[in-house]
Amino acid sequence: MPSLIVDRVSKAFGTVSAVREVSFTIPDRATFGLLGPNGAGKTTTMRMILGILVPDGGTISWNGKPVGSAMRHIFGYLPEERGLYGRMRVRDQIRYFGQLHGLGQRDIAARTDRWIERLELQEYAARPCAELSKGNQQKVQVACAAVHEPELLVLDEPFSGLDPVNADMLFSILNELRAAGTTLVLSSHQMWQLEQLCDSFCIIAGGENRAAGTLTELRAAWPTRVVRVAPSSAPVRHSLNATPGARLIADDGASVDYEFPRTTAFSDVLRTLVSVDAITRFDALDPSLQDIYMHAIGNGKVKG
Amino acid sequence: MSEFATVYAAELMRRIRSRPFMIGLLIGIAGVVVIFKLPVWMSSATSSKNVVIAGPSDLTTRAAALLRSDFTIAGTVPLPADPASLFKGHSADSAIVLTRHNGGLNVTIYAKDPTDISASRVRRDLVPLELQLMTGLSPQHITSALNMPVTVRSIASKFSSADQAEAAQAVASTLLVFLYSLTILNSQLVMTSVVEEKTTRIAELLVASVNPLALLTGKILAGATLAVLQMIVWIGTGIAVGSTASPAGDASPFDLSGLIGGNVVSFPVIAAFAAFFIIGFLQLSTLFAALASMINRTEDMGSISGPVLVPIIAAFFIAMTGLSAPNAPWVVVTSFLPFFAPFVMFARIAVSDVPTWQVVLSLAINVAALCAIAALGGRIYRVGMLLYGRSPKLSQFLNAIRG
Repeated sequence: MPSLIVDRVSKAFGTVSAVREVSFTIPDRATFGLLGPNGAGKTTTMRMILGILVPDGGTISWNGKPVGSAMRHIFGYLPEERGLYGRMRVRDQIRYFGQLHGLGQRDIAARTDRWIERLELQEYAARPCAELSKGNQQKVQVACAAVHEPELLVLDEPFSGLDPVNADMLFSILNELRAAGTTLVLSSHQMWQLEQLCDSFCIIAGGENRAAGTLTELRAAWPTRVVRVAPSSAPVRHSLNATPGARLIADDGASVDYEFPRTTAFSDVLRTLVSVDAITRFDALDPSLQDIYMHAIGNGKVKG
Repeated sequence: MSEFATVYAAELMRRIRSRPFMIGLLIGIAGVVVIFKLPVWMSSATSSKNVVIAGPSDLTTRAAALLRSDFTIAGTVPLPADPASLFKGHSADSAIVLTRHNGGLNVTIYAKDPTDISASRVRRDLVPLELQLMTGLSPQHITSALNMPVTVRSIASKFSSADQAEAAQAVASTLLVFLYSLTILNSQLVMTSVVEEKTTRIAELLVASVNPLALLTGKILAGATLAVLQMIVWIGTGIAVGSTASPAGDASPFDLSGLIGGNVVSFPVIAAFAAFFIIGFLQLSTLFAALASMINRTEDMGSISGPVLVPIIAAFFIAMTGLSAPNAPWVVVTSFLPFFAPFVMFARIAVSDVPTWQVVLSLAINVAALCAIAALGGRIYRVGMLLYGRSPKLSQFLNAIRG
């Protein structure tokens, strides 16, 4: 059963339309990637999911109930604009956000200690946040967003500004939260991380839906197919060039990559190739999330 | 704990521990001590001048008795041949030489530093002796004549005497200074707190965690609590310092302890002061917080708060004027206006009999204005906390107000 349903939501600021009829659903306990270029409407969509902004049109529901400010205690948010009270100590900062989310004193103490330990912040726990490095501050912000163990955690560009070690730690933490049953919504420009973390995606650009679904569904909807064939011999290239709609996109001397229309009968192509040369490789290359993203936002060539 | 209580408690503790609050509180206490003690110190400094009185012994004896209230008499000596010898054997700064002249008195003062001694004070002190020499009247008659009782009794004022009215004006002007200082100081602290949350970029995390109105209310009421606390400390200091007698044993001119609860600082005046202080502070701090949410740099605070401070400064000066002319038309009119009323209506109540309906109407108008400012401020704040980057345009303000 879907937990979060975003149904044709729109939001305008004055004459600027930030989001136009964006829709997607996120199943319970799923990890969802919200993708799009800068200014696509990702942050506005996230703010509407969290009830910070009210949509001008459309509806957003969580477990069947319209989202609103009352759900703050079960939602968590790591905004793109990062910030902390500079003079407040790390432990006090995490505790304060636990209190704001309605945790009792006993829970707060235990969870604060657990997050400090998990994020390896023990030596900084009693220091003012302003004295921490940017990466460590970001870890404190993650703890502030998740200390109340939210049902839905929204993270806007969680990996930006982190060094590889801390990015890896955050990656592990998100996997742990996912395993613990937290529904995650992430936006990031690090496609490979999203590809590994997320079960499904929505790509928006110019405030509109461009593509949505699991990676398998997105690949299935891809308009072409790319096949890598070896050897890169003259008979092979000749045979492939004769296939209707085929286009050479790469040739490294050992193998060739050809793009075909999605409707091509590949068994016939393979049968023809086998008859002209000793074929050692015939692989269908799936488009990466990066390829799908670039194509969806209109900046990429269709290659696979 | 509710969201509001959490924000309120955290904001209160953060502000109490902050350097600006502690510095403001201590400077305020020092200021109150100086204001209340200065006249006593100045008076003691002047009366501690040591003088030698020279002349015929019948004159110096009587003059010493009269001059003792303002000067320390180092000694009395006969008329010397040389003025420089007047100071021999005496630790004195000045010498007052008395001789008879045309049946009266001739006074010459020799001073090491002529600016150290007040000729008018010497003249005032010696007038009874001069009159005695010229008229032959007894010292008692002369003293009685010079202190002829003149009583001013009002038939329309709330005060039974001119002294009471003057005391009420003095107390009200002191309280107005407190009211103005605390309103400005603490409203700006609320503003600083909001700007800090914007500049540190924690604002978005906060509004995702807590209702923005609970955040705003907690912040403002924490500011109000501290303002009241500061007010109590300052007034308490004033009462404690003012009730302390001078070294000479004279009562302090600022002794408030005997005035509170009486006709001068009646309980309705205290209640009006508290009510208008709270309303004025909430009006200004709510507006400041909303405006602060629209800026992203500490440097912009001055430019955005300046226009709001203009009516507050004007209100303060009208209120000070209103202490002398509480029923002047412009004073009466401004005593109903939001931002002006907390100062002006309080000033009117402190020094005159303001009709009850006017007080009630002013309170009603200002509470209604506070509700409108809170509704408007809440909208601006909710949107402003999410605005980053460039300074907002007028259209963004209007959009925020429209919601």
